[in-house]
Amino acid sequence: MRIILTLLGKDFANLRRNRAALVLTFVVPMVIIYIVGLVFGLGRKDSGPTGIPFALVNASDNPAAAKLVAALLAEKSFHVITTFTNPDRTERPLTEADLRPLIRDRQFSYALVIPSDVISDDRLGLHLKILSDPRNDIESQIVNGLLQKTIFTSAPQLLGQSLQARAKKFVGGPALGRFNHDIAQAVAQAFGGDPARIERDMAQGDFGLARATAGGPAPADGQTANNDFLSKLVQIDTEQVVGRDVQSPAATRIVGGYAVMFLLFALSNSAAAFFDEQNAGLFQRLLASPMSRAQLLWSRFLYGVLFGLGQLLALFFAGHLLYGVDVFGHLGNLVLVCTCVAAACTGFGMMLAAVARTAEAARSLATLLVITMSACGGAWFPVSLMPEFMQHIARFTLVYWAIEGFGAVLWAGDSLGQLLPIVGILLGTTAAVMGIAVWRFNRSPLFE
Amino acid sequence: MLLIQDVIKRYGALTALDGVSLEVKAGEFFGLLGPNGAGKSTLMSLVAGLRAANAGTLTLDGAAITTSDPAGRLALGLVPQHIALYEELSADQNLRIFGQLYGLHGATLKERINEALAAVQLADRRKVQVKKFSGGMQRRLNLAAALLHRPKLLLCDEPTVGVDPQSRNAIFEYLERLNRGGLTIIYSTHYMEEATRLCSRIGIIDHGRILALGTLDELLTRLPFEEEIRFPAGPDTAPLAARLPEQGELTTLDGTHRFRPRPDWKLSAFYQLTESLGLPARLFTSQRPTLEALFLHLTGRTIRE
Repeated sequence: MRIILTLLGKDFANLRRNRAALVLTFVVPMVIIYIVGLVFGLGRKDSGPTGIPFALVNASDNPAAAKLVAALLAEKSFHVITTFTNPDRTERPLTEADLRPLIRDRQFSYALVIPSDVISDDRLGLHLKILSDPRNDIESQIVNGLLQKTIFTSAPQLLGQSLQARAKKFVGGPALGRFNHDIAQAVAQAFGGDPARIERDMAQGDFGLARATAGGPAPADGQTANNDFLSKLVQIDTEQVVGRDVQSPAATRIVGGYAVMFLLFALSNSAAAFFDEQNAGLFQRLLASPMSRAQLLWSRFLYGVLFGLGQLLALFFAGHLLYGVDVFGHLGNLVLVCTCVAAACTGFGMMLAAVARTAEAARSLATLLVITMSACGGAWFPVSLMPEFMQHIARFTLVYWAIEGFGAVLWAGDSLGQLLPIVGILLGTTAAVMGIAVWRFNRSPLFE
Repeated sequence: MLLIQDVIKRYGALTALDGVSLEVKAGEFFGLLGPNGAGKSTLMSLVAGLRAANAGTLTLDGAAITTSDPAGRLALGLVPQHIALYEELSADQNLRIFGQLYGLHGATLKERINEALAAVQLADRRKVQVKKFSGGMQRRLNLAAALLHRPKLLLCDEPTVGVDPQSRNAIFEYLERLNRGGLTIIYSTHYMEEATRLCSRIGIIDHGRILALGTLDELLTRLPFEEEIRFPAGPDTAPLAARLPEQGELTTLDGTHRFRPRPDWKLSAFYQLTESLGLPARLFTSQRPTLEALFLHLTGRTIRE
């Protein structure tokens, strides 16, 4: 027993001394649990996503349409945008013509248009229009569900108005007024109530459908039945503004996200190998030859970029074979973005090697940062599902911009010119992290 | 050939080299001898241009050695203390890489690789991954990699650590052959027998200072004694040991007395004394002072970490 206790003590002493193992054992899982918890709303009373950018154009002057607008504004999941900011910083209401360019510019991914003919005497039911960029499949499903809920909750009065408008067209205004008066009298006599109020409600299209759709002592599938009924009366024109030709939208996002995560792991590991080479005296041997530190560093950087490019392209080709990701239709731009992503990831790995003191420290720091960046940056689930402050943090991660770049190429089919901002951010990131790496390496004993 | 003058190197508060000056002439086999942490590797790295000195100058054939002049390193070959090889690659691939770094290519590179592998007796293992080599084979290849470009000055930083006697002997023979061919070698070690066997001149370094410099014979004359007599410590020899401190230096280590007589005290007097005490002659052994004795005399017996 004494021997077992001695060996047990040895194992715990080793663990206590190994900070890298402690970080991987305790800190990394806690960070992941925290991030996933934030995404899925753990610990919050009101779970679900918040602040998904959503544009709204209301071209109707119908008071019931205003109610629908108010309902959408009150929906916490949406950050509703109703104004357009001019170049001179002044604002004006959004119009339908603004929506498509703004969706293509990724200002928002979803827009609802309530047209001036939301109710028409030419047809029965409502007419709405949804424009979308369903780049994130999960987000897209959530937004559609939320929109249906909000519209069907607020639509009954509009439907009543639609019925009144159609009737007015066929029987004429005076005849409809008499019809409403007679029905109101009959309802009041049979069920009680104020006949004048019933008549006023009928004229405004309020037939109590909202109460019917809200549930009550209905059968188990009553809600569904009501929604099916309503959905036949609500005509929604949908227009996918971006990515119409993409065969496999989910694969495009998933392949890109996981490709960049594994690239970061590979390059961080490769950077940790700096220490192995130092310990083996290889840097001494190399730098004793007619070679400068700069040449050594840049050769490592170039290797990382080529390695990363190879890995990313191989994973996208796998995505093409397995899920039909359209690689060959955008090969040139894909190579450009992959090169920029590989450069930024290589620089990140070299920065880790430069700031860490040992290979173990570099590896554990890399694991912590890569997993955190992948979770926050959208490699695992869309950033828009996270709380707003996390969405702001996501923009400071390499993974976010890598996924944006892949999406811009494979989903939106952006041109070279349109890709320049993302390319600029990735190259800027590369310059920044490499600057830190070179600065630290010049002060590091790693090469001595 | 190599001139080092008043070199100081500090790492923060630690002074690793404290005013080191020495000259290594062309064709010399110069031994740099010192305990762990004495400053040997730091001095080697300064000569190799890997680090910059805080003060002082280092010149090779009149040209300053600096960290910012990679071209100047063509004249140098470095055998690092560690086995600085890519172990996943074969011997041939390793030598090809290191040869190319020195500007060798084509037929010349191939010829140099063949020569080097033959010289370290690895020609038949050229395609084998280095990680499959024994420690001795790796050490031999480590040496060969520093010689492909035929440097004028070879820096060997403890190149035989952990090597079996056969490989060590092969390395020694190869280095001796190279030195006879005119190659200047600086050999850093803490093995006395290596320095004794190989080096024509030796510098003993400790605490960043050169404590002694010269040929083996010159260094041994610096010992304050010429002869050392050893005899077992015990009750029989206790009366002798009690009388000896007046006549010289007596130390006891591992159950053995070591007596170094004063220069003016004749050995015949010592043997007269032992006879008078009835001690048989077989108890006594006599030996000349060694480099190890000088080393310990100069650097002390405190264990270095």
